[in-house]
Amino acid sequence: MTAVPRRRRLPVRDRWLAYGLLAPACVAVALLVAWPLWVIVQMSLRPGRALELTKLLSQPLGFANFDRVLAQPSTWAAFGHSLVYTGGTLVPAFALGLGAALLFHRTFPGRRWLRSLLLLPWAVPGVIVSIGFLWMFDASFGVVNSVLRRVGVLSTDVAWFVDADTAMLAVILPTVWKSFPFFAITMLAALQGVPASLYEAARVDGASPLQQFRHVTWPGIRGSAMLAVLLNALWTFREFDIVFASTGGGPAGATETLGILLYREAFGSFRFGTAAALGVLMVATALVVVLLGYRWLREETR
Amino acid sequence: MTPRWHRYAFLALALLLVAIVLFPIYWMVVTSLLPSSIVLSRQPPLLPPPDQISFDAYAEVFHRRPVVAWILNSAIVVAGSSVISLVVATLAGYSLSRFHTPAQRVAGATLLLSKMLPGSLIVVPFFVMFTALHLTDTLAGLILANVSVGVPFATWMMKGFFDTLPRELEQAAKIDGCNELQALWFVILPLARPGLAACGIYLAIVAWSEFVFARTLVTKPANWLVTVGLQSFVGEYLVEWPLLMAAGVVSLLPMFVLFVLLEPFLVSGLTSGAVKQ
Repeated sequence: MTAVPRRRRLPVRDRWLAYGLLAPACVAVALLVAWPLWVIVQMSLRPGRALELTKLLSQPLGFANFDRVLAQPSTWAAFGHSLVYTGGTLVPAFALGLGAALLFHRTFPGRRWLRSLLLLPWAVPGVIVSIGFLWMFDASFGVVNSVLRRVGVLSTDVAWFVDADTAMLAVILPTVWKSFPFFAITMLAALQGVPASLYEAARVDGASPLQQFRHVTWPGIRGSAMLAVLLNALWTFREFDIVFASTGGGPAGATETLGILLYREAFGSFRFGTAAALGVLMVATALVVVLLGYRWLREETR
Repeated sequence: MTPRWHRYAFLALALLLVAIVLFPIYWMVVTSLLPSSIVLSRQPPLLPPPDQISFDAYAEVFHRRPVVAWILNSAIVVAGSSVISLVVATLAGYSLSRFHTPAQRVAGATLLLSKMLPGSLIVVPFFVMFTALHLTDTLAGLILANVSVGVPFATWMMKGFFDTLPRELEQAAKIDGCNELQALWFVILPLARPGLAACGIYLAIVAWSEFVFARTLVTKPANWLVTVGLQSFVGEYLVEWPLLMAAGVVSLLPMFVLFVLLEPFLVSGLTSGAVKQ
């Protein structure tokens, strides 16, 4: 976001037009973003288990929901799972995305079509991603175990999504698959912004390909790369579909992230208050990360 | 210049990478084309034996499950929410691009906030609100829920496109006797067509993939969307994989066609929005 320079006030006619064009969006945001947010904050501050809006808003205010959420061990376990899930997705997705971007920045025949195909996982709904990976990683009939058995890596059948030791890895893999195209797209665009003359100068100076990457490519794309990491971290931190549709948070809570725990509190136990309190804490965490990341990003790109 | 063999080396690498990345989709297709007797084997063949290929799983899944109804429901929600979001976002994006108002800061903050809101959180107030308004179990409710996600990012994306069009265009149109709205309609919008296409397909893919609203705000199986319908297979005692994969492939096709045809628009659109902001 760039700062808007101060200008003199708009002429009346333009002001009508400016706000008139904005009006539908303002209505949509007020009704569908601001109002729900207000309801969430209200819910989080009202202990008690009312499901109806009017009954809920007549409950007394208090911090009991937050006390409860912060005291229960499942919150901290879920927080830990969310961190492992987010970190475990970001690192390989970033590496794969950067590698793909560097490759597709070169010219070769058929690049346009191959690039479309490479980015295709981004368009696959999370639920279908889960279903596909559940099948590939099935203990007895899955193709992954079959290949690993044939190569001799596995002697027993690993139930990837069902075994508590492997379940986290099993939900991270499909998440990496779905999220790496975003990195590839943003870094491909950033690469196109690095002037070719810099590479020529580096070559004249006798820089090796690795040195070119370190001193020309990386400084040129670092800002975009870090922004992509930040946005993808936010996306993964709140990701729900893939985990819910594959393990549902199980086995025995081994993959229960904050998003899953929240949903279980709300629609499993119908404790909307604690679910809302958990959500407020989740958004607050994301906000702290964004503010820190944004400051750091601004210093990086200065 | 890159030597010729380099280009083919890059092509080979790219082909290898694409083959690995697309393997999960390939495996879905292969499973959907083979009978259970071959699929449920400890050593499934990596290449389908040509004489065993059949479309029986497709016929059967359409016969046994209301896949067509799910896809139609999804199509209604996708079309409704994408069109509403696109119209609202185009107007707002144009205003944000051309007039400096305090709304610009608010729009940026709203976008960021909506990127941080977990779907499983925002669905809680929607559930409570929609129950009060009798909007649960309706497709209209799902359309509204999707608009809530679509408008913030689509507005920002459209603003990015309008920023790339010079202001002189409207001034020229005004000299020719257009008023502001006519200038927008006759001059700016035709030029913004690639942007509208990118934004529309982005909205459509996001709405087509959406799961948590669809699962929570609609309970009657007749109103299920395709994502919810497919997920309902997984909890069953015996998952019929070829049928499930056939339904999955069918539900992927429309978005794949859109995506591959319009991907260049999408990439330029996404990046102009992502990098600038």
